[in-house]
Amino acid sequence: MKLWDRRTIAGKLMSLNLQVTGTALLLAYLAFLAYDLYTLRNDLISSLTTEAGIVGENSITALVFDDQQAAQSTLSALNHSPDIRWAVIERADGSVFARYPLGGDTATDLKATLTPRQTLAYWAKGTNILLGRRIVFHGRDLGSVYLLAETSELARRARQFGLLSALILVLCSVIAVSATSTIRHLITDPLTELAGTAQVVSREKDYSIRAPLPKSSDELAFLVESFNGMLEQIQERDRALEESRNALEQRVKERTAELTEANQELEAFSYSVAHDLRGPLQHIANIAFLLQNSGDAGLSDEHRMLIEKMATGTEGMAVLIDDLLNLSSATTAPLRRTAIDMSLMAESILERLQADDPARRAQWTVIKGARVIADEGLMHIVLENLLRNAWKYTSKVDVAEIEFGFSEEEAGTVYFVRDNGAGFNPRYADRLFRPFQRLHSQSEFPGTGIGLATALRIVTRHGGKIWADGQVDRGAAFCFTLPYVVEG
Amino acid sequence: MQMAHVSKPARSGRGCRALAAACSAILAVSALLAAGAAWALPGETGYDVKAGYLLDFGRFLRVTGAAPADRRATFDICILGDDPLGHLLDDAVANQVIDGRPVRAVRIGDAHAAKGCDIVFLSPDEGDGIPLDLDAIGKADVLTVSDAQDFLKYGGMIQFVEEGGHVRFAVNLDAVNRTHITLSSELLRVASSVIGKPPAEEQP
Repeated sequence: MKLWDRRTIAGKLMSLNLQVTGTALLLAYLAFLAYDLYTLRNDLISSLTTEAGIVGENSITALVFDDQQAAQSTLSALNHSPDIRWAVIERADGSVFARYPLGGDTATDLKATLTPRQTLAYWAKGTNILLGRRIVFHGRDLGSVYLLAETSELARRARQFGLLSALILVLCSVIAVSATSTIRHLITDPLTELAGTAQVVSREKDYSIRAPLPKSSDELAFLVESFNGMLEQIQERDRALEESRNALEQRVKERTAELTEANQELEAFSYSVAHDLRGPLQHIANIAFLLQNSGDAGLSDEHRMLIEKMATGTEGMAVLIDDLLNLSSATTAPLRRTAIDMSLMAESILERLQADDPARRAQWTVIKGARVIADEGLMHIVLENLLRNAWKYTSKVDVAEIEFGFSEEEAGTVYFVRDNGAGFNPRYADRLFRPFQRLHSQSEFPGTGIGLATALRIVTRHGGKIWADGQVDRGAAFCFTLPYVVEG
Repeated sequence: MQMAHVSKPARSGRGCRALAAACSAILAVSALLAAGAAWALPGETGYDVKAGYLLDFGRFLRVTGAAPADRRATFDICILGDDPLGHLLDDAVANQVIDGRPVRAVRIGDAHAAKGCDIVFLSPDEGDGIPLDLDAIGKADVLTVSDAQDFLKYGGMIQFVEEGGHVRFAVNLDAVNRTHITLSSELLRVASSVIGKPPAEEQP
């Protein structure tokens, strides 16, 4: 079957052709031969019956008057029948009366297969037919005549038929082979070309190739046309796809440029606003300072209280402006990555916080060796914001516990700032990092709401991640990762 | 009782025929030596064959020109003189029919009576009286048969002869042709010898 699968279509057609022709011829040969042999045999039996009848009739007087010589001469006339090998005339008692050829083998064993009492009986074995016929004269059973014929004619016919059939088969084979070249020209060649084109198209993804059209206008031509049409459609679709992709890219570029421009303008605007606010604010702060220190220049206690509030307000505003400028620089300032030690950085920040507020009872721990490659100024802003938050939200706890450290997790090194402060509702954890979003009231814990947003921007610009874990009144932990860690 | 050695001309001149005859002769001689002079043929055994032959002759003869009215109701096979056949002939003809006529065996003492028969067998005991008997029968349409020696010479039609241990017969066609009797060529074919010529009208 594999051999058959590997053949070409022309080869398959030719062998099919030969198989059908050969089978038809063989069947016809067998049918004709069987019919011919059957009729030939019947004719032979019929003529043998006649001859046996004639021999029997002519032997009556010889049998009646016991003249063996006369019977012998009757039998000798059988030499005109070439098919008859031998013949025997028997008396009624079964003894041999005359035989042909004279002195030949009586082949009594063959005769035994016949029923002698039958008027007419024949028995055939191989190419031989033995026929027996009774000789009856006026109701008297005189004896029987037996003829044995060799049917050499049958074998001769079979050979002739076989020879003729073989000749026709050879002729048919020649015709089939010559028909194959026509089939190859008409069917296989165009198919091969089409298959070749399809292979080239599939290999090189070149849909501009076209299969050559065959000369005929049959199903093959239709197939090739359809194939070419399909290629054309694919080509067109590709072109349309390319065009729309280009248009999309162009639009993205334009939008990005617009956005970048708008962002830059916005950053420039907020920076200039923050920067320009500083001057007048400093002015107000200075005036407040002067008024506070002017002694008793006719100021009532109420005035002094108002001036105190003004000074506090300007201070808060200054902090807000600093935070805004930090946020702005976190976004716009170029990253200058250097190897830094965040452990040392955290320690100095905490020492400063303790120095600014010496009354606070705080226990802080810093795990050493948090070395990374990052922008020193920006990472300082991150740590300052996180530690300052921790310091702030532990203000209502008896003994504040603040920890900076890091742990090796599956995703990499995770740095954290943990405290035992007010904590937060984890449902709103994602709000923490949005600017001006605060989970606590200003009176409870004052703040600008910009610090964590700034931290998020800086960590994100470094390619890291930042998140918060916490529960209300159970403290909070702010964790972040940075991609470039200095090993050891 | 006689040993009839009728020399028969070889019909086909075949060597094998002569060989068969020689073999028969040797057999006959050795049988004679062994059993003395009492050789079976043509004794009682020979007559049973002859009785059958008498009946069979009737099946191969035809009487031409006889008006149907002249035909007798029975086919009579007569025996003239002492009957050597006895019951053998009676047995042979029992229930037999020839040409639609039942066959009878009839014993007659007078040759003139033979004119009413279809076949007459002249007993060999008639001896010298045979020519007289034949004269008496004359040209009547009766087939004359005998195993007497020189029967054909006297003008008889069929004479039994013994040949190689077999009962055969010789035919005198001239005698037959004097009557309206025609013998079948089939019968003539198996005769051991034939004297005379076939009737003129059968020779085209």
